[in-house]
Amino acid sequence: MQLRDVRNSWESQPLPYLLNRRGFALGGSAATLAACAPSERLYVNVYSARHYDADRTLYAAFEEATGVAVRVLPANAEQLLERLRAEGEATEADLVVAADAGNLWRMQDANLLAPVTSAALSAGVPQRLHDPAGHWWGFTKRARIIVYRKDAVAPDEIASMDNLTQPRFSGQVVARSSTNTYNLSLLASRIERLGADNAWDWAAGVRANFARDPQGSDTDQIKAVAAGLAQVAIANHYYVLRMARSDDNAERESAAKVGIVFPDQAGAGAHTNISGAGVAAHAKRPERALQLLEYLVSDDAQRLLAPLNDEFPIRPEIEAAPELAALGAFREEDVALDALGRRQGEAAAIYEEVGWR
Amino acid sequence: MAVNAPSRLAPTALAPTLSFGSGLLRGLALLATLICAAPALAVIGLALRPEANATTIGAALLRDGAIGTLALMLTGGGAAIAFGAVAAWLVSLCAFPGRGLFTWMLVLPMAAPSFVLAYAYSGMTWGGAAPVPVAGFWGAAFVYAIGLYPYVYLAARAAFMSQSACALEAARTLGAKAGDVFWRVGLPLARPGIAAGGALALMEIAADYGAAQHFGLTTLSTAIFRAWYAHASPHLALQISAALLIAALFFLTIERRARGRAAFAGGSTRWRSLPRYDLNPAARWAASLFCLALVALGALLPLGWLARLAVLHGNISDLARPFANSVLLAGAGALIALALASIVAAAARKGGALGQASLLAAGAGYAAPGAVIAMGALAVFGFAREAGFVGGLGAGLALTALLWTYAARFAAAGVQPIDAGLSRLSKGVDASARVLGASVWRRLLRIDLPIAAPSLVASALILFVEILKELPATLILRPFDFDTLAVQAYAYASDERLLEAAAPSLMIFVAGLAPILVLSSGIARARAGAR
Repeated sequence: MQLRDVRNSWESQPLPYLLNRRGFALGGSAATLAACAPSERLYVNVYSARHYDADRTLYAAFEEATGVAVRVLPANAEQLLERLRAEGEATEADLVVAADAGNLWRMQDANLLAPVTSAALSAGVPQRLHDPAGHWWGFTKRARIIVYRKDAVAPDEIASMDNLTQPRFSGQVVARSSTNTYNLSLLASRIERLGADNAWDWAAGVRANFARDPQGSDTDQIKAVAAGLAQVAIANHYYVLRMARSDDNAERESAAKVGIVFPDQAGAGAHTNISGAGVAAHAKRPERALQLLEYLVSDDAQRLLAPLNDEFPIRPEIEAAPELAALGAFREEDVALDALGRRQGEAAAIYEEVGWR
Repeated sequence: MAVNAPSRLAPTALAPTLSFGSGLLRGLALLATLICAAPALAVIGLALRPEANATTIGAALLRDGAIGTLALMLTGGGAAIAFGAVAAWLVSLCAFPGRGLFTWMLVLPMAAPSFVLAYAYSGMTWGGAAPVPVAGFWGAAFVYAIGLYPYVYLAARAAFMSQSACALEAARTLGAKAGDVFWRVGLPLARPGIAAGGALALMEIAADYGAAQHFGLTTLSTAIFRAWYAHASPHLALQISAALLIAALFFLTIERRARGRAAFAGGSTRWRSLPRYDLNPAARWAASLFCLALVALGALLPLGWLARLAVLHGNISDLARPFANSVLLAGAGALIALALASIVAAAARKGGALGQASLLAAGAGYAAPGAVIAMGALAVFGFAREAGFVGGLGAGLALTALLWTYAARFAAAGVQPIDAGLSRLSKGVDASARVLGASVWRRLLRIDLPIAAPSLVASALILFVEILKELPATLILRPFDFDTLAVQAYAYASDERLLEAAAPSLMIFVAGLAPILVLSSGIARARAGAR
């Protein structure tokens, strides 16, 4: 095992030799710099669509605990999928990490993830938050919530996502583009729960209440609400928390003007999604990929991650960061997350039809 | 193919020297064409492959995208061309306060990627309000206008600088005012330069994803990603990409033809300082204000804002590795792209079908979004892997594929300056050397290269800056643990951490600053007798 790994890692780094032979002097030095990966140490390769500094901390802790270094290639999920597809059996990826179950489902649907199960995974991840066959497993949770300007809206006016379609909020709603996977999953879960007609009406109703055409990020929507451009916005929960502790005074002031509501607490519950990971179908180091996956859902990793990234731990037993805990417990929508992937095509088509670009 | 037929464009240029290697040149041109065209051809080929779940969404996306892209080209692109041409005219041929300073500062916005400008302007606040309200369609048009005018400025300035003083002085002697000389003599003579720079700016707009997406616009480029990301249909994305590529090829062909028919005589070849107009006081200050506005909006204001954010967050020290990676990658990529661009420029000067083909191949790469060319490169890699030629995308192969993608994507941006340099080669000097018994290689090394060297340097610098700013191909094709500044900026920005994204964005600009200043001073010195 040890021997094979050393050879593998050497084979994946043939560049200085290759380029020097061709006489690309500058390329050669670039390659020397690129060949920074360990050639003696054990390692595992991760394709990641998450770019958080917190993840690097997590990987460093994994290396500390196991002696296995984590080599990361961060890029966006759709591009990683195309790379995995083109690489086929020759891929160097062992574990694939992505935010949003929809993205993980697409990788599974393209046969790029291997089904894996283990006692540690089953015990660590609630059933709803992983693929039934084990192609992907969640390791953090996020909620899609409603942000409102405190001086314009009372929280009970937005107790439900349905309220965003009411005449009360005509010209007062902002949301980001529906190209974004968070919005696709939000509508996909509605289609799963209430059917396509209901989802169409909701999307068309929200679209009719837009203060402006969708543009910018979730953070931009929150800032638009704080600046008075609109009264309510749809966003993921952690952006407001992050703005509240920003180094930038203007962001802190914006955060102070808005409040957040976990919608539909009297009904179906708030839409929650995961970041998760799956073992690559053609992983060269599948045991180590599984080892890293199990680490990600372990108590140690969950405790380490909780205060770093404003996301909810994957299990309720693990205590969330104080700012998160202060928001109180909330009821989650009970939808199996693989439905978010299956329904994404329908969701995209509905957004297109109602003109929510 | 009539290899030795002199080019219509420049009957006195180059034919004697390069004829020694017409076979070699032809071989190289063919190779360059293939290298540039392969990813684009793969995209078109994959798009033509039938697929079961074709949707009606594609037609709507294509239509709306085409309208959006055209509208942005007309507004943002039109403004960029006007700003660039007027600024170049002012600093080349008029006297006004701050002219020397503006001469080089006007190039600065070139170092800032459009998506960085878009983020900077959207986030900018002053006393709770945005100092420049930038949003929606007009926001994108604004960002393109102030971010892309330097492409036109550089080309137009080179064109004005190489103009014959005689034509301009003759016009003055005949009583024409500064404005008349601009409209009736200077502008028509500089038209090829302005058209070439304008074409680059328009292709940048067609290929831009970051800014258009940020402002929530439907363009061909965002439609491609909407098909790919939201509708999970890479195939539909490739079809829209193919439409974009074919449209770009169509416009490039028209532009070449329009230019090919016009002949521009060089006039006197005895260089003298260009006459400079003394504007009336109001016009002088207006000229200063105009240039100041361009520099301030395109560079000083957004970069000052980024610098403020970077200082607030204080993560500049973490950027040594990405900085080194960026510079090395851009350096290696620029050299390879320069080689390609030189071959394409030389082949295009010779004319013929191959020359045209190589130009179009290079142009197609430049007009397509980087992610699409990268998808094409991935597809070519996929074919090669299935055929058993290569293994996995390890570090070596990944970097090779990345450098190739850079070359295919950006060669077109390097062609124009080289073409301008090649036009300076004189048949007479070459013939004299030949009469004196100088060999082909001696002539190449002692005469042609020294004359063309400044253009080659200019081309390499432009390519370096382009690659420095490149994001999507780098994102998808790089090896493990190999981040560049653009990748870092993207990673933070996509996570909506604009504060953290400020430092790498700023560093992209800093890394591009030195080459841009060299470039700018090179143009100023390009005219013999220039002050």
